[in-house]
Amino acid sequence: MSKVMAIGKKEIKGFYLSPNFYVVCFLCAAIFSWVYPNVLNKFAMALQTAVYQPDMPKQQLNIHYQVFLPQLNILNLILIFVVPALTMRLFAEEKKLHTFDLLLTSPVTSAQIVAGKYLAALSAIFGLCFLSFLYPAATTVFAHLNWAPLIIAFLGIFIVGAVYAAMDIFASSLTESAVVAYVLAVIFNMAVWFVGIGVDVVDSPLARQIFEHISLNQHLMALVEGTIRTNSLIFLGSLIFLFCFLCERVVESSRWR
Amino acid sequence: MIEVQNLTKSYGGITAIQSLNFKVNKGEVVGFLGPNGAGKSTTMKIITGFMAPTSGRATVGGYDVFENPIEVKKRIGYLPETPPVYGDMKVRDYLKYVAELKGVPKDRMAKNVERAIEKTSLGAVEKRLIQNLSKGFRQRVGIAQALVSEPEVLILDEPTVGLDPKQVAEIRDLIKELRGQHTIILSTHILPEVQATCERIIIIHRGQIVAQDSLANLTNLKAGQRRVQLKVRKAKAQLDQSLSSVNGVIGVQAGAGDQDWMIDADASEDMIERIASHVIQKGYGLLEITSAKADLEDVFLKLTYGSNQAATELEQGV
Ligand SMILES: Nc1ncnc2c1ncn2[C@@H]1O[C@H](COP(=O)(O)OP(=O)(O)OP(=O)(O)O)[C@@H](O)[C@H]1O
Ligand SMILES: [Mg+2]
Repeated sequence: MSKVMAIGKKEIKGFYLSPNFYVVCFLCAAIFSWVYPNVLNKFAMALQTAVYQPDMPKQQLNIHYQVFLPQLNILNLILIFVVPALTMRLFAEEKKLHTFDLLLTSPVTSAQIVAGKYLAALSAIFGLCFLSFLYPAATTVFAHLNWAPLIIAFLGIFIVGAVYAAMDIFASSLTESAVVAYVLAVIFNMAVWFVGIGVDVVDSPLARQIFEHISLNQHLMALVEGTIRTNSLIFLGSLIFLFCFLCERVVESSRWR
Repeated sequence: MIEVQNLTKSYGGITAIQSLNFKVNKGEVVGFLGPNGAGKSTTMKIITGFMAPTSGRATVGGYDVFENPIEVKKRIGYLPETPPVYGDMKVRDYLKYVAELKGVPKDRMAKNVERAIEKTSLGAVEKRLIQNLSKGFRQRVGIAQALVSEPEVLILDEPTVGLDPKQVAEIRDLIKELRGQHTIILSTHILPEVQATCERIIIIHRGQIVAQDSLANLTNLKAGQRRVQLKVRKAKAQLDQSLSSVNGVIGVQAGAGDQDWMIDADASEDMIERIASHVIQKGYGLLEITSAKADLEDVFLKLTYGSNQAATELEQGV
């Protein structure tokens, strides 16, 4: 365990001490600072007009749906492109610079290496989610909020980020080139996202159910709406486990070449 | 300490090493010698558990490298061909990280890092980013990294590449100093380096061991002969006839001056003694006697690039 922490700590320092991470954070902050007040403003207007329109659907009067949900969608989009940038170097660069030799000849197992790096990636994603969380949190200055669904929603986006991270470190372990790792990782992230489209295009109810289940979107939506479903957690957990396991296999296989 | 049996490795179609067999005892310093592409690095990578052999086995400290890799890796400090350093870390932080990876206990951590920095004279750059260091300093960080866990076995792949002469001498001294407590394998193309540091040499060529013996034996070994240079006071003495009666002398030739003689004799230990006492007894007036060993360089070139005949001769000699 101390080896996992050693690797994790080193990578976390690598993230939080590198300017790249702060550039990403700055861009996120810039996007939210522009979009969030706008959305909030629109919502405030809607609330005012709602007084004259008693038949307005309830959802449109809910800040969770009207403000936080769009923000989370943007965050999700950002994560699709930013998580690969964070994880691309984790394995690819080590292989290229021959520092992977050090890890492979140290008394650590492949699982420990993957765990350490994965935890580091999670910490960076947590940082991004925390940054985004500041916007809704700041809203409490002028509105009363229901904290529980908000926190669950951010937990949801964090778990989705964790799924991306698992897929992206797997992508990084496949190649020596950080650029290839990035492109591959973005493709992976988009792929799970687009599986959701299958729900709309297939006819048979069984196929639709399957697509619904494997679509990340469906599970995220449930969480964003503030409901924790065990099957969602199990599905997302097993996705994370699957890709970490695949990554561990790739690392292990490099010892056998 | 290290035992290698029938080790074979092929990369796809290329056979890099072929049924290597050797043993390194505890506390020994062994030099791996061989031309480019001979398979030195490949052998080292297998011993460190970095990659698996195609067939055969290797054990370190009694643990099989592939059944018990963690135990083996705990005991090994390894300097690969390219020093495995992270450019974005500072020297001291990097060494601390390596020590953590190698499982150095917390209470010894600071001491070990300190010692590694001191042994490789990195004190002046310990707070600098590794990416800003010169190649030689990076190599030193690589050596420090191998030392930091105070491993029983050190495997150094071309440790002095890129170092300045003073540092080369220091690293050689360091290796000599470590001899006895640590078991060391180092690879190199530089012959004086082996002569300066190693007790035993393994010469590899095209993936096969062509010779393995102690330095003294190897340089002597060529056909089991030695050459003795002699200088006597009496000029133009009839030494050749007189000396050939000495047991073990194979041939006598006149040297450069009329006082100099070259004697080919067998490699028995008291040969020089016998020649000297003969010369003194007969009253030629002994001025100088030296044993001119065959150069390691000659042996090396002959074994690797020279005729195959030399190699077979040698095998028979062993
Ligand atoms: N990853 C690899 N893929 C294919 N062939 C390889 C690989 N690594 C080494 N080889 C081949 O194996 C042989 C031995 O290589 P190795 O690196 O062990 O040589 P070496 O003795 O260390 O040489 P040098 O003195 O140049 O460092 C060479 O013919 C090389 O081409
Ligand atoms: Mg080599």
